[in-house]
Amino acid sequence: MEKMKKSSKANQSDYESLRELFKPHIESFDYLVDSGIETLLSNIHPVEIQDPITKKTLKIFFGEHELHNPQKSRGHKTFNSVLYPYECRQAGITYEGKFTLEVCFQYDSKWSTREKISFGKLPIMLKSKLCHLRDSDPSQLLHRKEEATEMGGYFIVNGLEKLVRLLIMQKRNHPMSVIRSKFRERQEGFTDKAIMIRCVRDDQSSVSNRLYYLQNGSARFGFWIRGKEYLLPVGVVLKALIDTNDLEIYGSLTCSYSEEYQGRKGAVATQLVGERVRIILDEVQDLSLSTHLRCLQHIGEYFKPVMDGLENESNSDVGASVLRNYIFVHLQKDDEKYNLLIFMLQKLFALVDHTAAPDNLDALQNQEVLLPGHLIAIYLKEKLQEWLYKTRKLLKEELQKNGENFESLTGVQIKKFLDKNPSKNVGMAIENMLKTGRIVTQSGIDLQQSGGMTVAAERLNFLRFISHFRSVHRGAAFAGQRNTSVRKLLPEAWGFLCPVHTPDGEPCGLLNHMASTCRITSFFDSQGNAKDFLKIRLSILNILAGIGMTPSLPKLVRAGPPEVLSVLLDGCVVGSISSDIAEKAASHLRKLKLFPSSGIPEDLEVGYVPLSFGGAYPGLYLFTTPSRFLRPVRNISVSSNGPKDIELIGPFEQAYMEIRCPDGGNGGRRDGFPATHEEIHPTGMLSVVANLTPFSDHNQSPRNMYQCQMAKQTMAFSSQALRFRADQKLYHLQTPQTPIVRTAAYSKYHIDEFPTGTNAIVAVLAYTGFDMEDAMILNKSSVERGMFHGTIYQVETIDLEDQKELSDQAQSLFARSNIEKHSSIDADGLPYVGQMLHPDEPYYSVHNIVNNSTKTFKLKGSEPVIVDYVAVDKGTKQKPPQKASEYSVQASEESYHW
Amino acid sequence: MDSQPEPVSYICGDCGMENTLKPGDVIQCRECGYRILYKKRTRRIVQYEAR
Repeated sequence: MEKMKKSSKANQSDYESLRELFKPHIESFDYLVDSGIETLLSNIHPVEIQDPITKKTLKIFFGEHELHNPQKSRGHKTFNSVLYPYECRQAGITYEGKFTLEVCFQYDSKWSTREKISFGKLPIMLKSKLCHLRDSDPSQLLHRKEEATEMGGYFIVNGLEKLVRLLIMQKRNHPMSVIRSKFRERQEGFTDKAIMIRCVRDDQSSVSNRLYYLQNGSARFGFWIRGKEYLLPVGVVLKALIDTNDLEIYGSLTCSYSEEYQGRKGAVATQLVGERVRIILDEVQDLSLSTHLRCLQHIGEYFKPVMDGLENESNSDVGASVLRNYIFVHLQKDDEKYNLLIFMLQKLFALVDHTAAPDNLDALQNQEVLLPGHLIAIYLKEKLQEWLYKTRKLLKEELQKNGENFESLTGVQIKKFLDKNPSKNVGMAIENMLKTGRIVTQSGIDLQQSGGMTVAAERLNFLRFISHFRSVHRGAAFAGQRNTSVRKLLPEAWGFLCPVHTPDGEPCGLLNHMASTCRITSFFDSQGNAKDFLKIRLSILNILAGIGMTPSLPKLVRAGPPEVLSVLLDGCVVGSISSDIAEKAASHLRKLKLFPSSGIPEDLEVGYVPLSFGGAYPGLYLFTTPSRFLRPVRNISVSSNGPKDIELIGPFEQAYMEIRCPDGGNGGRRDGFPATHEEIHPTGMLSVVANLTPFSDHNQSPRNMYQCQMAKQTMAFSSQALRFRADQKLYHLQTPQTPIVRTAAYSKYHIDEFPTGTNAIVAVLAYTGFDMEDAMILNKSSVERGMFHGTIYQVETIDLEDQKELSDQAQSLFARSNIEKHSSIDADGLPYVGQMLHPDEPYYSVHNIVNNSTKTFKLKGSEPVIVDYVAVDKGTKQKPPQKASEYSVQASEESYHW
Repeated sequence: MDSQPEPVSYICGDCGMENTLKPGDVIQCRECGYRILYKKRTRRIVQYEAR
């Protein structure tokens, strides 16, 4: 007994390497459960309705929320009301928990009522904080009829396993210079140059902003409101953000230009900047908007028709609301927004003057990933906001029709009224999104695609299953494009995306897989504690100030590259640092990353872009945000050779780092740039599946790619819990073998739990006839004795509820007719377990109570089957009581050609 | 329909208790109330083709 306990404990830690692969999915959902819903609720705009007669206002907003773990719908008679994932798979229902919200009604900011309203059910991710399997060890998992290795990360919707695809997104809160000929078509006078930034709020919803360069030297600020792009002259935005004067704007924009540095390394500003600033300021002058207030009013007046619910506000308030909700939404203070806009203008001018190179949006350096929890958070926020707007619309109509006032709206009436706008649809919308992968929204929620957000987690074999969770898609928009440059394998992806593991054919290069050591940053640190981003940013600022950074608030420093570099922390210009000490500062921060006590998070990205001639725009860019790629490397500038020297780096900083690979040679590194970091393992750059190919460096490279594809298509052990699964079709290999030659990854990821294929000991190639990939000569007797045998498990689900619709309203049940008895049907109307059935043989019969008739059903298909198990289950919908699933075994068919 | 259909044995998916059900009975374990039941393997002799 003692021994058994020990071994089960050892097992749990063993599967840790497998669980690690699924963490990005689970951690993002944990965020949603922990703080995500709370944050998004606080970011939802309340709605207000004014009574046309009494002029009193009613304000509706959300209060507390509750999200429960999955429970069975009816608790009566059943002692255990906990709903387990296995039951959902078997019964074809959704693994979801009740979601309730407090809706607050405030009358004339005096008295208020709170109603607890159910918003339906939200699907719960397996192994997340709300899942019943969260803390189960392998033996408990077996007891719950799961795999011992169960890793979670997916949802069960109507009995099907669905996972959210990881999608590549533009890196958040980082301004990027882009050259696109399409920008020219936007309006007369536009050039192809712009700065783009994708700003993300703390509830993960995002708004993209763009800064276009015009032929006349000015710039336009573009942002989207409900799928339409609006353009404003930058001068107006600058002045609307803070109370400033022309001289100050001129000063902060031209400060980076200095004659003495002209032509020197890292000089990004040119003499032309002064000219351009004058044009920008003249534009504002021409609109006769001289003051801060006038600019705000101008914006307010312009946007009043498109801003919801602000009809009665003053123009300047509407203007402020536009700035708050659509411009640089990742920043809170207007000073910070102003400073970022100044920085973006400087970067734009450098792009125009060719003193800085454009950023490549197709490079992983400028990308991050969309995670399941974040997607649900964005969509849930959208749906709740829509619900509020619809409630307001209905209430308004009601008031106009009946001429009632709010006082008559008591609790009962509110409830009755809300029936017209069913709140349960919100939960249904989330479930539908997971079911179909489609997003239905009016505002577009700043996503590039509205379909294909989810895929089924097929269990054809274990490798295919894992690969689904490790895959990263570039986006559906690129799949249809003729342009193939997005499919390129770029050096920036080194160590993060596997160069080998991508399908060939249509999705080649668009559907990539993360390298085996690649992780994604989340809201949790490595100990599993929630991060406090405010505290982290503050301690970073303190350390930076200690190193010698000049803080940018209240006013920007009047200097620019090459003298000083801007320091950006999560897209906020926090200060500037002398370019002489910037490199030292970066390496100091890197060292602090290794020590958790320093207050610097281990996953801080220190993107130090050095001065160059026409290279990337210099600066020190720091990121603490979630959903960035991350991978471990060894920091060799630190002497200790233990776990302390493992540093987590991101793709942005990697491009400017010197990392050596211990595979021999120094990768063409020059002596002037000694390596500061070292790869941990040469095959760390490969994905899990690619890592399983032994001696892959002795192969012609496409062979490795083909192997990755083939490994995922092989018939294998797809599941160890075959008896408890109800998949439409499952393949099972009778006698799989373990490879004779294997890599370390094979045991690390426990592939032996789900072995694939059979070793061919001797294979003789036929002289003619077959393609070399198809043929092998086998011993006929061996095959007949069971070599290479496989089984197909098919599930036949018979729902009597469906049959009721076909005939009439009558109740029906499984029963055998005693008039015509079939040898293949048991007394309960279902087949015998273990019996062999042939095509067209009747195997179940349904008895109709009302007209007392019995109908038998014949086996479809062309192959004989063996009944593996019959399970009966009382349906989830209360009325017709029976539902039977039946497993059939099929002996696989080999084709003999001789 | 048969006036006295023979009862068929099922095994509870949760507690493993054997239940005998007649057509029309509520599908629920008598012991624990669990609603997924598995049919027992047939006592008939089954013979598969083996070469």
